[in-house]
Amino acid sequence: MRKVILTVLAGLTLSVAAVAQVKVAPLDIKERTLANGLKVVTLEDNSSPTVAIHVWYDVGSKNDPPGRNGFAHLFEHIMFKSTKNMKAEMMDRLTEDVGGYNNASTWDDFTNYYETIPSNYLETLIWAEADRMANLTVDQANFQSERAVVEEEFRQSVLSQPYGMFNEYIQQLSYTTHPYKRTTIGTLSDLDSATVTDVQKFHSTYYRPDNATLIVVGDFDQKQLDAWVDKYFGRIAKPSTTIPRVTATEPARTRESRFVKTAPNVPFPAVAITYLGPRSDDADIPALRVAEKILSEGDSSRLYQSLVYKQNIAQEATFEISDRVDGGTLEFTAVASQDGTPEKLEAALMAELKNIQTGGVTARELEKAKNLLITDIVRSRQNNDGKAIAIERAVAYQHDPRAVNSDIQKYQAVTAADVQRVMKKYFADNTRVVIYYLNATDNKTAAPAGNKTGGGK
Amino acid sequence: MMKTKSVDLRILLLGFTFLCASVLSGFAQTETPPAASAPKTVTVPAVQEKKLSNGLTVAVVQRESSPLVTVQLLVKAGASAEPDDKAGLANLTADMLTKGTKTRSATQIAEDMEFLGGSIESGAGWNSSFVSVTVTPDKLEKAMGILADVVLNPAFKQEELDLLKSQTLDELTYNLKQPSFIANYVASKYSFGEHPAGGTPSSIPSITTADVLNFHSQNYRSPDSVLVFTGDITLDRAAALVDHAFGSWKPVSSANSSALIGNGAASNENKVVSRILVIGLPNSGQAAVNYYDHLSQVGRTSTVFYPATVGNTVLGGGYSARLNEEIRIKRGLSYGAGSSIGWRAGFGNFATSVQTKNPSAAEVAELTIAELKRLAETAVASDELIPRKSTLTGNFGRRLETTNGLAAAVGELYSFGISPNELNSYVSNVNAVTDAQIRDFASKNLLGGDLIIVGDYSVFKDDLAKRFPGMKIDVIKADDLDLSKPDLRK
Repeated sequence: MRKVILTVLAGLTLSVAAVAQVKVAPLDIKERTLANGLKVVTLEDNSSPTVAIHVWYDVGSKNDPPGRNGFAHLFEHIMFKSTKNMKAEMMDRLTEDVGGYNNASTWDDFTNYYETIPSNYLETLIWAEADRMANLTVDQANFQSERAVVEEEFRQSVLSQPYGMFNEYIQQLSYTTHPYKRTTIGTLSDLDSATVTDVQKFHSTYYRPDNATLIVVGDFDQKQLDAWVDKYFGRIAKPSTTIPRVTATEPARTRESRFVKTAPNVPFPAVAITYLGPRSDDADIPALRVAEKILSEGDSSRLYQSLVYKQNIAQEATFEISDRVDGGTLEFTAVASQDGTPEKLEAALMAELKNIQTGGVTARELEKAKNLLITDIVRSRQNNDGKAIAIERAVAYQHDPRAVNSDIQKYQAVTAADVQRVMKKYFADNTRVVIYYLNATDNKTAAPAGNKTGGGK
Repeated sequence: MMKTKSVDLRILLLGFTFLCASVLSGFAQTETPPAASAPKTVTVPAVQEKKLSNGLTVAVVQRESSPLVTVQLLVKAGASAEPDDKAGLANLTADMLTKGTKTRSATQIAEDMEFLGGSIESGAGWNSSFVSVTVTPDKLEKAMGILADVVLNPAFKQEELDLLKSQTLDELTYNLKQPSFIANYVASKYSFGEHPAGGTPSSIPSITTADVLNFHSQNYRSPDSVLVFTGDITLDRAAALVDHAFGSWKPVSSANSSALIGNGAASNENKVVSRILVIGLPNSGQAAVNYYDHLSQVGRTSTVFYPATVGNTVLGGGYSARLNEEIRIKRGLSYGAGSSIGWRAGFGNFATSVQTKNPSAAEVAELTIAELKRLAETAVASDELIPRKSTLTGNFGRRLETTNGLAAAVGELYSFGISPNELNSYVSNVNAVTDAQIRDFASKNLLGGDLIIVGDYSVFKDDLAKRFPGMKIDVIKADDLDLSKPDLRK
């Protein structure tokens, strides 16, 4: 492993000048592509006897079939059921039962399957991941039972959370054309319509070596790992069919849109103001990330200081980038305090936007944001899984695993002028979507919550 | 300040993976997975310790793999040291530390700390309070200066307390709309005889700056505190930094410990369920179906701690544990079911928790109770016990991979007065637990507790009465809850 290069202070002097700025060592990754199109990214680190595996598929909820909103995520659950060579839940036998763990997640743009295991099980898991890529089988009983689980997940993460539907609305109402307007969790009625045939078709369409990247980080011998990958993944044929891709593009907004939505058990009103952002690999993203830190991270951030601390109108106020490959959203959100109203929240959020657009940011704010971003990177890469996630996100959002090593330089290069420029470029009054989210009993004229997504059965 | 975000604005659809052992008959295996090679040993780093002249303990776990250091000040008093009618005082005191010192305003503290790329966090659990920072090593000296300032020189200004109380109440209002939170909130009083550590709508307004000042002066004392460092740091450097930043912390003679002893409801061990309480939350998206039992004889320092921990893991610790297998995997009734034990030195608070759609609430209650009975009455076979122990020790090892997780694990041991070297014996202690010890623990401790269901009662009322015939079902509307009243009603 490449040791982290850190100029440690000599002796015990407590002089700050003796401590150099922290250096973050690059991840020394190796890349190759098998004949069947599978991309492989590996990072050997023998400091502890564990290994993290991520299998990243270039398919997400934007690829949900028509009338099957939520299907990519339902499918992800089915990937833990049976294969030609494994009975249902065998992945757990091979991971959790030997001290490892496994999970998966579905995003708008991609789906990942991952496990961390004691390194003596690496060959077993390479075999197992290849097996479910090639040989997924599914029966009606397992399918129905897992679909019910996903419907409970919908109820738990959306319906039983006071702001669950708020999050759904933010995404649904921010797009008019691109399939991003459908959220990952989907709707209960579409989930109910899904069939075993849909599962088979989705698997054969998207789950293939030329649509995946295998990432392995941790304790292994490079030659031995390469041989296992060749043996178990190399034998999977590359289908001759082409992989369908989303071609829809979201049109630029030309006028403001406003919505009032309600749900039961909402304790305080909330407001979202969204704008369309750039593609995830755009050169403007680092400057937007810096703005995100300045506006929104911690108690010294501008939104906290203004809306929460000085005006006392919000419990929480944030600005964040929702990264999406074909173009994400830039979202201001706030949840009211006892003294807040949606109108006050909207005015205060807009005032902070105007401030940064007209006044820019200070040199100290810029340095703070960079320090926060660098600490985030160091913190999130402390273990094998954290490093594998960093590589995977570089693949997903920048289409290049090596981008994992250039983020810090990109952040360091951001200037105050860059921040002001991007905050002017993407934010205009006639391109915003404004959502007020209220308690159902406070606004009886609005549609009941959840009607768009089916509500309860 | 432990900032529990009142709103989770980001939904990650973690497909909470998978699990369990439902054997499919007629399954034709065509290829066998390659076997594992020989296992390697995992080593847990040693904890180095040094006591300073003012009684403060410095503990260091050095690991240079990442340029990062976590520093956590652990104070051995938490919510157990606050009176019931001042519930939330320990947490507010910890939060108030970062809201201003004699020389820094609240905004300056946040600004100074965040400029270093980190944040300062503080909070209180039942047994202890903490303040912590995580920074890269080049920023550590400055971060230590801020950490010491907030602990030694807090200003406790009225206007800051007023704002914090109003924020805490807003957060409570939000949480009291969520079925699982409500169930745990009620159980703290109803089943465990404690109080909610985060406070109640009546306790928070009653807390004054004098209360905070008293709690701080009685409990934040150098001889009872530990500074835990984890990450890229040596013991010598840590000790020098602490001497410099905390050297002026004068030892104060110990006040009488006012720790409350839990007096949970008496268990009726003849029945699996002693009481059923329903909290009505109309239009709730799901019901929380939880079971609570006060473990009056088994605490963190008890010899039964390890059998209890392994037993809990078999029942509800992880994806492949029994509750999740029966409720999620076999029947699709929930996104996840589990159990946990909230440890106190001399006792424990056991809980199972599940969220399910309202129509299946009673069925889930019945399934939960059946699993408690099974653990108490039937042997755990070794082909189940060994994998579940591996789950537990694997989770333990992963928790220690980050500087934060490592500091929390070390701090937890100190908070119970347990040697931090127990980190190194944890795995062998888990592996030594026998099936007979688990059954003995479960049969003596896990039966006779309370079933608390929070949800849309009208939907599951009839089914609940049918599945628990002859049991009295007490019902309180969520809007009528008042934990300060003996009958829990306003």
